[in-house]
Amino acid sequence: MANFRKLIGLLESDGKRLYATIKRKFPVNTEETSKLPVFDYGVSDKSYNRVFVWGHTKTGALGIPYVKSSESYDSIKNFLRPKRLGFGEKNKVKHATCGFGFTLFHTVNDDSKTLYGTGLNTDSQIGYHEVKKDHPLEIIFYPKPISLPIKYSENFKIHKISAGRAHSLVLSNVGLFAFGNNAYGQCGRPSIQDEDYIKSNYIHFIKNLGGKQIIDIECGQDHSLALTEDGSVYSCGWGADGQTGLGHFNNCSSFSKVMGDISKEKIVKLSSRCDFVMALNDKGEVFGWGNTEYGQITLPGGIQQICKPTYIEMLKPLGKIKDIAAGGSSCIVLNEDRQVFSWGFGILGFGPNVQQSTKPAKIPETLFGKNEFQPNNVVEKIQCGVSHYFAITNLGDLYSWGRNRNGCLGLGNESDQYFPLKVCLGGIVKNVHCGIDHSVAVCKPFI
Amino acid sequence: MNKLELTLALMKPHLVKNPIALQTIRNKIIASNFKIVRSGRKMLNQEDAEKFYEEHKGKFFYNRLLTSMLSGPLEIYVLAREEAIRYWRQLMGPTKVYKAQFDDPSSIRGEFGLSDTRNATHGSDSPESAIREIKILLPDFDFNKWNKDEKIYFENNKVTFNSNQFIHQIDYK
Repeated sequence: MANFRKLIGLLESDGKRLYATIKRKFPVNTEETSKLPVFDYGVSDKSYNRVFVWGHTKTGALGIPYVKSSESYDSIKNFLRPKRLGFGEKNKVKHATCGFGFTLFHTVNDDSKTLYGTGLNTDSQIGYHEVKKDHPLEIIFYPKPISLPIKYSENFKIHKISAGRAHSLVLSNVGLFAFGNNAYGQCGRPSIQDEDYIKSNYIHFIKNLGGKQIIDIECGQDHSLALTEDGSVYSCGWGADGQTGLGHFNNCSSFSKVMGDISKEKIVKLSSRCDFVMALNDKGEVFGWGNTEYGQITLPGGIQQICKPTYIEMLKPLGKIKDIAAGGSSCIVLNEDRQVFSWGFGILGFGPNVQQSTKPAKIPETLFGKNEFQPNNVVEKIQCGVSHYFAITNLGDLYSWGRNRNGCLGLGNESDQYFPLKVCLGGIVKNVHCGIDHSVAVCKPFI
Repeated sequence: MNKLELTLALMKPHLVKNPIALQTIRNKIIASNFKIVRSGRKMLNQEDAEKFYEEHKGKFFYNRLLTSMLSGPLEIYVLAREEAIRYWRQLMGPTKVYKAQFDDPSSIRGEFGLSDTRNATHGSDSPESAIREIKILLPDFDFNKWNKDEKIYFENNKVTFNSNQFIHQIDYK
């Protein structure tokens, strides 16, 4: 040991540590190496989005053709985790929307094809497609272009797409296109007795409403809502629960102006996934109408259907509301302090013991990933399906909870999730779209 | 062989429009040992629908029930089995879908219902109402004739299943 110390001392004697070095035949010239080009990893195109899909596979709504010759139809499993969509890599998908067993994609390709649809097509809700004359396809397993009755030009732009149970709305800069099931007048045109929707090739067009341009649309299951530039709301379709908000419980086959408490308000956002509707005005106040059987709005006298927009007073203590999402039996709102509140009936996000709440209650922020390592993580957007919910944070993380029908939560299993849990997917989530039993997320890549 | 009972099963319009779900439910019916005596697709008219839901008249959900049933074609099945009414109601699950999806998630309504109104299926609640409902929807179906002529074939299992038409046909041999 002493000898070893002596040796070390000898090596370090001149104050400089000596290392064993490789004797190079051609010594490295440091000056030259600094001049060498460094491989520059590319940054993704700005219009590029990654699309992830998960949930029920058999309806074809995920846009992933699954039938291999070796696979039998019954052995097909649901996608329980987000799967990257090949269609999204070949096309620049900008928006998506999910209905009951079908999905629409809006792409910004360089060609005339701007709208694609996949999934169930029994009501022509994704346009008319046939392989043989007069044999329309009931199901489509891979996104197919939907032709809108308009001449293609550079100026034509789609702003938003929205899908209901079996009808679709497409909002463009020239006007609103509506197609699919019209049994209740949800496409904004009178329904025809015994209309055969699968053979229908008709796309209804609405230029504007009351002389004002339409800026936003939202589909309920069987009704449609439109928002015009002056902040008024128009609706049509099924009104048996009062979900059209027109003051009666009948079907309405043309877009009519919604009055009630919102007649003088400037509405900025609408949300309705089933038969209850919420509207948000520019002051951060929330109005609701439709089916309130599960205490979405508590009214004296136990009224369960409201056909006139009503100010939801119990949300006043929460402060200014930023985002809203109305499901079938429960609702969630996001306030200015980025806190999420939920009420109604179902899985509200407070564990398995809380099934019903008539007052909004706060879901702890820690469940949305706010902790000491990421203190600035806050919820940015909320979205819901009929009985399940999604929250997107400013870091691009996706959290889900609720009824896990066919794996639509994307958590890797099919059991219900009683509190928000992070969904594992490879991208910065920008938007998520909920169908009945499948979901689509449009994400930005990390680089 | 136990005494056969008849019940009426209806697939509501939103379900008929989803061929995948419809096929799954058909498979469930067969797997639960039901015999399909009659099967067909029909669009209801206002009069029949009003007659059909007579008992609910005046309730708050009457209007939405009626309009939803009139929104598209229905699949009508007459099912036979011992204690058919009870078994079919058990297979359907609770009426309210928002509750059924948590209480009985594997039932037809828990799995395929969308909302309380769009609750996928309908079933008769008693033998009397089964007779009344079948008479409204299938006026050609004669109970006495069926009991006299056809029942014995079903009881002795002398029927073959036709999967294309989704019906059990009698082997007259």
